[in-house]
Amino acid sequence: MSWFQKKTPEPASESPKTTPPARVGKGLKVSSILTEDTILFPAEGHDKAAVLQSLAAAVCGKAGIADWAAFLAKVQEREQGISTTLDTGLSLPHARMDGIATILAGMAILKKPIPDPKQTDLAIRVMFLFFSPNKQDAFPLHLQLLRGVSSLLQPALIDQLTAASSPTAALELVKKLEA
Amino acid sequence: MLSFISFGRAAAIVLCDMASTAWYIGGIVETAIGPAAPWFILGVLFCAAPVLMLYIEGSAMFVRGGVYKVVRESMGGSLAKVSVSALMFDYVLTGAISAVSAGQYLAGLANSALPRLHIHWTVNPKLFAVVFALCVVAYFWRQNIRGIEESSDKAIKIMSLVGVMAAVTFTWAAYTIYVRGFNWPALRLDFTHESLGWLKGSEHSLGKLGLLVAFGHAFLGMSGLETLAQVYREMEAPKLKNLKRAAAVIFTFALFLTGTISFLAVGLIPDDVRRTYADNLLSGLAMSMAGPHWAQLLLQAFVVLVGVLILSGAVNTSIMGSNGVLNRLAEDRIMPDSLRHLHPRFGTTHRMINLVVLMQAITIILCRGDVYLLGEAYAFGVIWSFVFNAGAVLVLRFKDRSKREWKVPFNLIVARHELPLGLAALFLLLLSVGLVNLMTKTIATVSGVAFTAFFFALFLISERLNKRERQHGEHREKFNLRSAGDLAIVREEIEKPNRVLVAVRDPGNLYHLNKTLESHDSETTDLVVFTSRIRKGLGLVDETISMDNDEERLFTKVIESAEKHGKTVTPMLVVSNDPFYAITQAAQAVGATEVVFGVSAKLSTDAQLERLAMTWGSLQTDKKAVRFRILGPGVEHAVDL
Repeated sequence: MSWFQKKTPEPASESPKTTPPARVGKGLKVSSILTEDTILFPAEGHDKAAVLQSLAAAVCGKAGIADWAAFLAKVQEREQGISTTLDTGLSLPHARMDGIATILAGMAILKKPIPDPKQTDLAIRVMFLFFSPNKQDAFPLHLQLLRGVSSLLQPALIDQLTAASSPTAALELVKKLEA
Repeated sequence: MLSFISFGRAAAIVLCDMASTAWYIGGIVETAIGPAAPWFILGVLFCAAPVLMLYIEGSAMFVRGGVYKVVRESMGGSLAKVSVSALMFDYVLTGAISAVSAGQYLAGLANSALPRLHIHWTVNPKLFAVVFALCVVAYFWRQNIRGIEESSDKAIKIMSLVGVMAAVTFTWAAYTIYVRGFNWPALRLDFTHESLGWLKGSEHSLGKLGLLVAFGHAFLGMSGLETLAQVYREMEAPKLKNLKRAAAVIFTFALFLTGTISFLAVGLIPDDVRRTYADNLLSGLAMSMAGPHWAQLLLQAFVVLVGVLILSGAVNTSIMGSNGVLNRLAEDRIMPDSLRHLHPRFGTTHRMINLVVLMQAITIILCRGDVYLLGEAYAFGVIWSFVFNAGAVLVLRFKDRSKREWKVPFNLIVARHELPLGLAALFLLLLSVGLVNLMTKTIATVSGVAFTAFFFALFLISERLNKRERQHGEHREKFNLRSAGDLAIVREEIEKPNRVLVAVRDPGNLYHLNKTLESHDSETTDLVVFTSRIRKGLGLVDETISMDNDEERLFTKVIESAEKHGKTVTPMLVVSNDPFYAITQAAQAVGATEVVFGVSAKLSTDAQLERLAMTWGSLQTDKKAVRFRILGPGVEHAVDL
């Protein structure tokens, strides 16, 4: 018998972990589904709901989707279920949507961590939101993205992202680690 | 880890007992019924075929079968207790007669060889037999405490050596027959007063009943067969196919070895010489072969060596068989629960083994090395456990009409009703032999009835005491929890190239485990069956390392499923504050390439997979691919990540 617990967030370190993250799907990189427009640095004082709303609006705006509220409602509905926040400080809200053909994603970097309302002991430092097509054959990619993002956004990278000065710098950090 | 054995190993374990009778049955039966002994021994060995079929049908119905389980299902607990008490008597005697006979063979060899070495000492065969028998019992006591895997290894080695010995002896015997000719055993019955028991004085009016009397005296040739039902639980998949294979091996080997040796002993050893070898007949056979004296002596030494090994193996089988029987009883709370305590290091039911070995040791001391006395007491339990088993399986044919995986043949369909003629005939034959033996084998009847009554009373009292102590009637397996702080111990056992982790929680929802076991290949894949105990906050820190009732119940079902399929599993319990983290960490620690879940009553399959994918990614330190599978009735999802 072994004793396992959720791991506690590791302290910030000078030298980030260099373990290459698992690639998402067949050649799909996380950096390829992000743009500077969909990487946000929300102002302090925002709670999780507010950050999620801003991120949904940005992601849908970039994709030219006017009814972003429907997307937000869907992801909020999903958030009522099993937690999408990990011990690493990553929050990974997601939803499978009708009417989209590709993955839409955005990332919010929080300079000051915010608590997860469902698990108050967990602090959110980076929120990665994505929508995937609601098709059965797209579900494996949906799961691969969940695994890939959570594998990529480990505490070391999160530390670097929270220290980044701009969306461009943040995207470069992701690209660099994925290279 | 729960592991299983091949049909060859299972057959070897049973044969170590059943075929070992070849070393003493000839002398005992000839003393009892006269020169026709080999014919009746042969008849009994042929009769083993339908009895083996009976055991195949019974075992296929109940994985943890044997006479107790079958009789209980059919005729109720009281008769089941009687039948198993009788069987215990024979297990105790098997150990004693085998060990003492081995001692007699060694003493005989010493007395043959010492004069050749100009050492003019004589070994007292009976005293030597008692001392040697106690040593053998002590040795196998230790082996059984260490576990079945090591014991079945030895059984295979012993049976291989027996095969070599049979080849050498039979070839040499063929040459001797060519040189000297062969005296076929006369078909004449010469009963003694002792062998007629309470029928003494009716020798001339026995008529055809005499055949049954003689058959009953030769019945110890089938001793050890019941062990097949005990080892069935340990047999690997495909279980039924392997059971049939094991039965075929047992029948062929026993018929060939015991049957041929019995005929050769009477046919080649001169009558007057044979009497002096009543307790070590095969030594007499070796010394009666054509050839120089030194060669005869060498053959005798070889025969004795192999005999000592197989007879010692029979001691081992009797300990294993009786341990299996007592385990079945303990599961039904018929034995004190404390007897099921597992050895902290080896995980065996050491107290039960101690009990059996103690009784065998007492019997050895009480018999004072007299093989014939033990032989006369013998076979009481064998025949009555067969009678009860046949009766029970027969009754079940009418009581439980569900489809059988296998049936004793010769079933007649009349107006849509199946008449099990073969089974009924077998039951009647066994019952007749049992009743006749009651009258003729007086030592067996008196000692057997007394022993059975004692055990029956013990079982009855234990059952009542246990009923008072416990309200819940469900059987719980005993588990050895190794409380190492990490997975190092489990990883040592996980060595196959493929590893699959099956997560279980609800004992009523093991569909996914059974589905996985169906297609699981124990040769190439390790199967870890995993559950987690979820504790939060300080409760996690203070958690004691022992199974609670729910976990015991869950793993009992897991073990039953594994046994039913004959597949090896490694149960694992993890204490954690999050089930998904626990599964992921365990799966990654054992290097699982596949993780299998059941359908959750609380979460959708999509939500389960999503959460697991996130957790897997956050904890993954390598790029190894994994497959997640969710299995349920009508549900099958598989995703490669």
